[in-house]
Amino acid sequence: MLKRVVAEAAANLLASRQRSALALLGIVIGAAAVIAMLNVGAIARNETIRQFRQLGTDILTLRADGNTGLGNFQLADLEALPMELPAVAEVAPFVIGGGSAQHEGQVAVSSQLGVTAAFAQVTRMRMQGGRFISDYDRYELYAVVGAGLAQQLSTPYAPVRVGSGLRIGRYVFTVIGVVEPMLPSPMMPVDIDNTLFVSIPNVRRIMANPSLSMAILRMRPDADAEAVTAQLQRHLGPKLRDQRLSVQSARQLIAGMQSQMQLFTLLLGAVGAIALVLGGVGVMNIMLVSIAERRREIGVRLAIGAEPGDIRTLFLAEAVLLSVTGGVLGIFLGIAGAWGFAWLSGWEFVLSATAAPLGAGVSVAVGIFFGFYPAVMASRLDPIEALRAE
Amino acid sequence: MLELVDIGRSFRVGPGEVHILRHLSLTVAAGQLVSIMGGSGSGKTTLMNIIGLLDKPTSGQYRIDGQDVLKAEARELSRLRNRLIGFVFQSFFLLPRLNAWRNVALPLMYRGTPEAEARRRAIAMLERVGLAERTEHMPAMLSGGQKQRVAIARALVGEPRVILADEPTGALDPKVSQEIMELFLALKREYGVLILIITHDPGVAAQCERQVVLADGVLTEAPRGC
Repeated sequence: MLKRVVAEAAANLLASRQRSALALLGIVIGAAAVIAMLNVGAIARNETIRQFRQLGTDILTLRADGNTGLGNFQLADLEALPMELPAVAEVAPFVIGGGSAQHEGQVAVSSQLGVTAAFAQVTRMRMQGGRFISDYDRYELYAVVGAGLAQQLSTPYAPVRVGSGLRIGRYVFTVIGVVEPMLPSPMMPVDIDNTLFVSIPNVRRIMANPSLSMAILRMRPDADAEAVTAQLQRHLGPKLRDQRLSVQSARQLIAGMQSQMQLFTLLLGAVGAIALVLGGVGVMNIMLVSIAERRREIGVRLAIGAEPGDIRTLFLAEAVLLSVTGGVLGIFLGIAGAWGFAWLSGWEFVLSATAAPLGAGVSVAVGIFFGFYPAVMASRLDPIEALRAE
Repeated sequence: MLELVDIGRSFRVGPGEVHILRHLSLTVAAGQLVSIMGGSGSGKTTLMNIIGLLDKPTSGQYRIDGQDVLKAEARELSRLRNRLIGFVFQSFFLLPRLNAWRNVALPLMYRGTPEAEARRRAIAMLERVGLAERTEHMPAMLSGGQKQRVAIARALVGEPRVILADEPTGALDPKVSQEIMELFLALKREYGVLILIITHDPGVAAQCERQVVLADGVLTEAPRGC
């Protein structure tokens, strides 16, 4: 019975191919937008998790702000933190700057950080070769480079590796380590891949106005970010005198990113919903035209014993079939769209498990909702009038 | 047996009423072939709609095989039409997207007959009307006479009590018309079904064993051999 109804509906839709295809278009776009929205949401969630996986979520970034620009921590104050506050596991103060480095005629501009040995532990970086800056390096002209920077400075004949010489300003630094490639983290003001590291004492040699204005800090695993933030404000605030201390936690950042993502998802969702409604109206329009054209057929069916319910089922089946076809095409288009989005933004593509069933469900619902009125209209036709129609 | 007793049908037009049929009575026995003649505006179509259970009279009684068919509601009317009435139309009214046997099987499908059985019976009926070779053809590939044969097969396949034919030969040339009339006569004998042919062609009417004339909503029996 169902099979026959569907087969008949399909034959009727195929008989007016062009019109069916036009009605399909709206549904396809609507379903595609909904699917793309769900999938992009999943991709973004996955990307957030991926970005924080490397550094973890128990990270805080500290920044001192003076009245005229970056502030200045006392190195000793920061390095004493793990002893004084039990919730702080490790802390890595750093000086941030930027400039160019030269190697065998290759010049590259990058971020430059003055760091202590703790930086490697806090950021969980791994070395491709050599070692990281140690606290004993002090005024030695040693530098560590990120993987991307190393590549930029390499020439085909002279790759940057441990032992290479880098000219920075008036000094030549020896590369003592190359960092493994790392994902940029939203918690870090610089992309580690594209950064040159030196010891804090060396910073004066390569930067004009260095200030120890930032630190990255790892809490103990069970610590509460807000409580630690408050402790830090109480503890460090007085020592900073008239400077302001700002603390950013990974969780805070994730929450911010998620609310931003939610807005984006909502927007796409609204576009999808509007397109689906327009598609639904298109289906309704096509069904009404089709019913007007097939009045006599309806009359004949009623005359030979079709019940109003049979007529309703026939036209409802056509509307639902139309929107299901549109929905299926929309699922493919939406997934392709999400894939394109992932490709363009360089994010990892993941398939959302809810996208396809939800898209299919929504398009069936649209078909039933917008097909119902025309189908009921058709079933209420007076057979006498319908038979007289030309 | 079909009984129409004192049937009246009026339509409200503005403030007044227009009486299309007045005190019309007609009894037709099973196995009879009756022609109903009448010019335009005689109430022919209204009478046909009432007999075909598509319309209800404003007064009077209508029984088929003793069953009062005027009490039925919309859904029940559909079932009664399906079981009791077979329609044949002037312009055939085959469904263009269904092939010949599916067109014929349609009344059985609406009755819930399984497809395999409906197909068997539809093909048997097509063989009976002389279209054994055309069961898979689409209506567009059939001639006018063949289409009307398919329509007759569709009207008969559900074994109705009444075949109601509205100008069944109106769209056909004389030779084919004659063949269709001969088919009606043969089927009437074979199935004992009661056939009403509504026509304005005296040649067609002359072949029916009984002829009635409708004029101004009143039915009069024409003398035999007219």
